[in-house]
Amino acid sequence: MKTDSTSNGRGRLSSEMLRGLVDEKTGTLDPRIYHDREIYELELERIFTRSWLYLCHESQLKKAGDFFSTYMAEDPVLVVRQKDGSVRAFLNQCRHRGMRICRADCGNARAFTCSYHGWGYDIAGNLASVPHEQDGYRNEIDKSKWGPLPVPRIETYNGLVFGNWDKDAPNFRDYLGDMLWYTDGYFDRTAGGTEVIGGMHRWVLQCNWKFAAEQFCSDMYHADFSHLSALIARLPEGVDPSMGQMPTIGSQFSSRNGHGTGFFTDVNTLDEFNGPVAAAWYQGPHRAEAIRRLGEPRASQISAAHMTVFPTFSFLPGIQTLRVWHPRGPGEIEVWAWALADRDAPAEVKEAVRLGVLRTFSAGGIFEQDDGENWLEIQKVLRGHMARRQKLNVAMGLGHQQTNHPRFPGKINNVYAEEAARGFYRQWAQMISGEI
Amino acid sequence: MGAQPAAEPDRAAMSAKRVTPELQQEIEQFLYHESRVLDERRYEQWYELLADDLHYFMPTRYNRMRRESDKEFSAPGEAALFDEDKQSIAQRIRRLNTGMAWAEDPPSRTRHMVSNVVIRSRGDGEYEADCYYLLYRSRLEREVEIFVGMRHDVLRRSANPAGFQIARRTIILDQTVLLARNLSFFF
Repeated sequence: MKTDSTSNGRGRLSSEMLRGLVDEKTGTLDPRIYHDREIYELELERIFTRSWLYLCHESQLKKAGDFFSTYMAEDPVLVVRQKDGSVRAFLNQCRHRGMRICRADCGNARAFTCSYHGWGYDIAGNLASVPHEQDGYRNEIDKSKWGPLPVPRIETYNGLVFGNWDKDAPNFRDYLGDMLWYTDGYFDRTAGGTEVIGGMHRWVLQCNWKFAAEQFCSDMYHADFSHLSALIARLPEGVDPSMGQMPTIGSQFSSRNGHGTGFFTDVNTLDEFNGPVAAAWYQGPHRAEAIRRLGEPRASQISAAHMTVFPTFSFLPGIQTLRVWHPRGPGEIEVWAWALADRDAPAEVKEAVRLGVLRTFSAGGIFEQDDGENWLEIQKVLRGHMARRQKLNVAMGLGHQQTNHPRFPGKINNVYAEEAARGFYRQWAQMISGEI
Repeated sequence: MGAQPAAEPDRAAMSAKRVTPELQQEIEQFLYHESRVLDERRYEQWYELLADDLHYFMPTRYNRMRRESDKEFSAPGEAALFDEDKQSIAQRIRRLNTGMAWAEDPPSRTRHMVSNVVIRSRGDGEYEADCYYLLYRSRLEREVEIFVGMRHDVLRRSANPAGFQIARRTIILDQTVLLARNLSFFF
């Protein structure tokens, strides 16, 4: 029996070896991508410092000094609304001894003061005051050089604030690339824009971040079986359980940059996911405006969609749950999730969206519960040496993609396919191996 | 986000409305009975203990600086872990009974412990019952989760064999980031 190359130390992770962990041409994955600590450290370096990562929604930062404490992968960052209305973000780390500058989750602040030695920062992240500057530092500290690391690139896209550590990164719309047509269809539907409903859900899952991100990118397939209990439970009593089955007609899109989305195009009961009050709004005034702005098929023919912007930002259009999967080591994530509503929707519509999301897609949601169960058990199985040597299958629909779909631009496959997963993992492998 | 959803009752007002030892015991026995029903997964029976106008609520919680501690909990209308009526609870129970609710199939083992029970009468056969809870959950081979916090219940006299129905339950959890895979059970 061959020895497992995972035990051979750091030098084993050659570019060639890393690129070979994913074979999108045959549709196979090496499960070590979910388990290996050193591969994870490379992800932090080569993927998460170069990708656009979701920070927050603009509606969370209403006035100057409003801040939200979040993460870019494992790095804590503070996102703060400035007096000029702009949004800035910086590493939540005091440059003196590395203490976390702000330990609150959110709030409003006129300044931030490190609790260790009292270094004081303004809301833009400039080091403004240092105790004992005169008698201790002899006025020899250059405060302009010792502020926390700023996030050099911040862009807002339809209310969604993204950050990137790479000052040379393409702008966010170019990063979306061929996905932009779809995300405009999801996030730019009405002139009034969107907001997140106050508060958020945060919970921990003992699984690799890619299970979650990939599923939201590419996996309509699981819904029929993983979520069958919830689909049945939501039917009115006395209705034949077969009515709970998912629709069948739809498409999946795979982006050149690793993003993906999938959706149904036949009319189905999922249009009313958040109940009749929300459905009346989204099928009524909301849809009429979307038709004017976007036309078809984006205004109404795409329904019950899933999507991921590579690597960790996901959304379920129609259901309206928005989330980021913060990695916490190779075997753990924190899910941070919000409910997204039209800003100008009536209060009862926002309430319906809030209740719908928390009852379906949250830690207590009757759909989401079963997702975690799958991901956690895969992660546990991968403790096994032999289990990690089995290639996994990501081949559904391989070779059946098309780029000349009459309605949907880009690389398209059936809604039940793994085209977007292959694109997601190709992007991952290219970045981790240094190919791009 | 809002202030503490279940403030401690005023002590002076409490002593004026102190309940009898018999009532204290009766309500504690009801809470123990309910725990047992849940831990034995008798969900239909538990459902019978819920009033038709039930509000079952579990806010989310945040780290706030002390000067903003009035915003520690999510307010009504914001993200909550549970915000249920009797109908949505029925849906959750229907799901558990499909035999395909994988997060609870095989089922978790739970143990609901309640203590520090403080009761006051609201009149008309309604009682507020605050308690501390410890909920132990063991799942599959070796997963363990422990939930600790307090509950604020409104109980109503009922002709059912248990003697009361739950009209309102507010569940406070002493965590911000939920340290659990899901909430596929009831508090």
